[in-house]
Order: sequence, then C-alpha cells, then structure tokens
Amino acid sequence: MLTQVLLNGLFAASLYCLVALGLTLILGVMDIADFAQGATYMLGAFVAFLTVTELGFGFHWALLLAILAAIALGVANNHFIYQPVMRRSASTLIAALGVLLIVQNVAVMVFGSDFQTYSPPFGTNVVEIGAGVIPVYKLTVIGIAVAAVPLVWAFLSKTATGKAIRAMSQNKEGAAIVGIGAREVSLITFALGSALVGLAGALASPVYAFDAFFGADAIVKAFTIVIVGGMGSIAGVLVGVAIIGFGENLVSGYISTEYSTLVTFVLLIAVLFLRPHGLFGKRYA
Amino acid sequence: MSTPHLQVAKHASATSRPAEPEVRAATGHVKRAAVVFALLVAVAGPLFVESTLIQHFLVLIGINVILVLSLDLVVGMLGLSALGHAGFMGIGAYTSALLVMNQGFSFLGGLAAGTAMATFFGVLIGYPSLRLGGHFFVVVTFIVGIVFNLLFTNLVEITKGPMGLPGIPAPEIGGYVFQDKLSYYYLVLAFILLVLFIKWRVHVSRMGRALTAIREEEDLARAVGIRSHRYKVTAFALSTAGAGMAGALYAHYLRFIGPASFDFLHSFDLFVMNLLGGKGTLLGPIIGPALLTAIDQASQLFRPEPARILFGVCLILIIIYMPSGIMGLVRLLDRRKAL
Repeated sequence: MLTQVLLNGLFAASLYCLVALGLTLILGVMDIADFAQGATYMLGAFVAFLTVTELGFGFHWALLLAILAAIALGVANNHFIYQPVMRRSASTLIAALGVLLIVQNVAVMVFGSDFQTYSPPFGTNVVEIGAGVIPVYKLTVIGIAVAAVPLVWAFLSKTATGKAIRAMSQNKEGAAIVGIGAREVSLITFALGSALVGLAGALASPVYAFDAFFGADAIVKAFTIVIVGGMGSIAGVLVGVAIIGFGENLVSGYISTEYSTLVTFVLLIAVLFLRPHGLFGKRYA
Repeated sequence: MSTPHLQVAKHASATSRPAEPEVRAATGHVKRAAVVFALLVAVAGPLFVESTLIQHFLVLIGINVILVLSLDLVVGMLGLSALGHAGFMGIGAYTSALLVMNQGFSFLGGLAAGTAMATFFGVLIGYPSLRLGGHFFVVVTFIVGIVFNLLFTNLVEITKGPMGLPGIPAPEIGGYVFQDKLSYYYLVLAFILLVLFIKWRVHVSRMGRALTAIREEEDLARAVGIRSHRYKVTAFALSTAGAGMAGALYAHYLRFIGPASFDFLHSFDLFVMNLLGGKGTLLGPIIGPALLTAIDQASQLFRPEPARILFGVCLILIIIYMPSGIMGLVRLLDRRKAL
C-alpha cells in the first residue's frame, strides 16, 4: 500500500514540479504572478492531443510541438500584454487573469466543451517496484521531471544567460548597469517558464481527461507549492512539491480523496503562520 | 512613463486631495446631488417595476453591491487586491443555510452566524498573509477562494457536494416572510445601507485615516506609530464579514446554493466590478455591479464564451487606460468643468 501511494505521489509531484519551476522562474525574475500559465498548460495538453490523434505523429513530436506552442503563447503574452501593463505600472496579476479568461474561452469555442481522452504511449505496460505497480508512461514522466530540474538549475547557475537571468532577479538596476538587456532576459525567462508549463500539460494529457479549463487546478497547486517553498527558490519548489505532492496522496490513499485538498489548505496556512516567507524564501522588503 | 492624462486621473482619485475652495464646493455639490438622486432611485425606482425578471436582477445587483462594497474595504481603502471573496460569500451562505435548515436558527441568527464564520476565516487567512509584501496576499486569497470552493464540493456529508443544498427557507423577521422579490429587494437595500453606514463610520474614524496612511506609504505610517498590521487585518476581517453576510442573503433569496455559485469566476467578477466602478469611491461600488450584472445577465441569453472573452479584453483595457474606473472619469470631467 505505502509503495503504491508513494509511486502515485511521485507521478503527481513530477507534474507539479515542472509547473512550479516555470511559475517560480517568472515570478522571481519578472515579478509577475502569471496565472495565465494555466492557459499554457491547457494549450500544451491540446496540442499534444491533436498531434497524436489528428496528425498521427509520435508522442515525442507531440511534446515538441506542445512546447513550441507554449513558448509562443508565453512570449506573446509577455510582449503584447505584460510589457505595456508594466510600463503603465498597472497590475500584471489582473492582466494575467484577463488573459486566462480570454484564452480559456477561445479554447472552448475552438476545441469544444467536451472532455478529451486518448491512450498514453507505451500502451498498458506496467513496471513492478516492490509492492507497487506503475505504468511505464508514468515512470517516463517521472524520469523527465527528474532530468528537467538539474538541467534548469545548471542553466541558471552555469551559463552566461542563466547568470544574467539571476542577476536580473536580484537587482534590476544593477543588472542594467553591467549591460544586461531587460528585454532579452524577459524573453528567455518567459520562453523557459512557458516551455516547462506546456511540457507538463502535454505530459498530463494522456493520463487525465481534459477540457479548456484543464490548467486551473494544476496552477493553483503549483502556486501553493511556490508559496510554501518560498517565492523564486528552486530548492523551495522541490521541498514544496515533496510536501504537497506526497501529502495529498498519503491523505487520499489512507483517509479519503475528499480531504486531500484540505491538506493543501492546512499546510499553506500553517507554513504562512510559521514561516511567512516560505520555507526557502528570501524576505521581501 | 505615464502620460499626463493618466497623471490627472490618478490625482483625481486621491480622496484627501487639498483643493481650492470653489472646486471643492462644486464637486461637493455635484456629489451630494448624485448621492441623493441614487438613494431616491434605489428606494422609489423598484416600485414602478412590474416585471419580476427585472426585480430579480435588482435583488442580484443589490447582493453584488454588498459584496463589492465589502471588497472595496480591501481594494479601495487598503490598496490591495483580493480574489477570494466568492469563497467567503460561500462560507456565509452555507453556514446560514445549514444552521437555519438543520439547527432551527432564525434567519437573523443564521445570517449573524454566517457573517461571524466568514469573519473568523478572514482573520485566520488575513493574519498571516497580510504581513507579506509583493504578490503574496493576492495569490493567497486566490488560492483560498479556490480551496473553499473545493471544500464545498468535496465535503459531501455536510454540503451535499456538487448536488447543492435545496429547500433553504425564505427569511422571516418578526413573523413577516420575505416571500416576493420586491420585499426581498428592500431587505437587501436595508443591508446595503447598513454596510454603507459601517464603511462611512470606518472612513471618518481614526481607523479610516490610519488605512489611508497605510495605503499611501506603509513604512511612513508605521514610523509614526500606526500599527499597520492590526489595521489591515481588521479591514480584511470587516471585508470578509460583509461577504459572508451577502452570502447568507444570497442563500435565502435563491433558496438553493451549490459550489458553482461561489467559484473563482465570481470572485473575479466582483473584483472587475470594483475596478470598473472605481475603487475607493462611494458610488463606484454601486455603479460597477449594476453595469456588469446587467451585461452578464444579458449575455446569458447568448453563448457565454464571447461575453467572457470580451470581459477579459475590457479588463485589460481598463487597467491600462482607465485605472480609476468610471468614477475616476466622472471626477476628471467634473474637475475640468470646475476649473
């Protein structure tokens, strides 16, 4: 029982982890709580679904196209909505919610309001791990997430571009003085963040039935993880994912699914009381 | 960065702006006339409305007015965004409905309990999250609103889940049952006046001045000895209390509640109503709900998606080009005329 619960938890946590990484990146660098990423998640799912079912391509192509679509949406959002909004020092959060509303309802009109499902790649093959069983597909998703985290971390800490992004998140004016372009950094940040969220949506699509409002739940969970872990911190994301992803699955495995969201809520409030800036967050002025 | 046009609009929105006496007299005059006119329309207008459908809209607008007036305590007076008020409304609605139906509470008893429950959760959430800067507070209210909705859906033993709670009795006060729509409208109107009175008392009190100071420059306010966190939590608690009260009124009016009435979209609508009408103004929280409820009800006759898309586009245009809402425009025109 415990092994099975942990395996399920690991799969859920992998998806949350990708989304939370994307969100924390955009939040840390751009200072935007980008709820519109819910639409990116949904778009990733639909693009992957249509690539497989309509075009008949393999799933790896589906993932690639989903990521490209996600990047296009995220970058366009940044360029056409957030940048003008920030120039007028209006609230990007409200703009983000407006974008979410627009994209979701356009999706209802384009894709219809039915729930979509399709069978995951690798068929119904399963792997036995100890006393638990996990489909090969879910194991692959876990593998992708496990690979993505160190890649993102290495990009941010080792490459010049990554260092520029971190410099921008620490001190905008300082970064500008040493010649880091705000426009390029915002472009790369949005591309990377949206790619991660779109990838997560595409990976989730064969497992869950989805419609135009698919991303909302994932985004809410991911933001909870970001707050619990501490805004803008990768280590915080990992710890937050572990607590929320596994906590929920332990509760739904041993007590009841109905109370698993209650766990999220109680954890969020408890962390806010005990460590208001999150477990790994830096203090905001 | 912003254009001169916008700067004027921003300036006009500051309530404590010292103005030349003639200008102030002119605006005061217009303002008083507008308030008296609005009150007259609100009291006498519905008597001439025959259609029960329009009476129904008026009740719904009234309930949204209470919600937006309450929300404006946070958005207008504190200058923060809050996106979970539909959740607090749901808490008031479920608490009141369940107590009246199962525990034999009277309507006013249920309403008071619903209000108290929403206040309790307001303090529980406001206390930790209002200490944080940046996006924390608004993201937390957003998440909390969604989690409340999940609880309404998932705690099936208590709330009957997605099926909803049917058969909530109509309110009864001192033997009089508010059965028809017109009488309910006046009940709601009485509560609107109560909320307006409380808001006015807050505004002219020490607390109102403290909130203005906190909104304009929190560090400075703390430096002169204003206990900003305590005032912020109080304002948020008052705001969630209003939302809970509106929820109870809503439950006993529709006689049926389900989780869908208190979802994130409703929180969002309330916030847009507040922005559209004009935050931090007296009439803004009345104009916004009236306008948007009418548009929303009209759009129900067609497909809802195009209306929602339009809604999103308008929202983005409002925050870019009209940050102080309709009342901001009115003030701008008024000021130009006076000068």
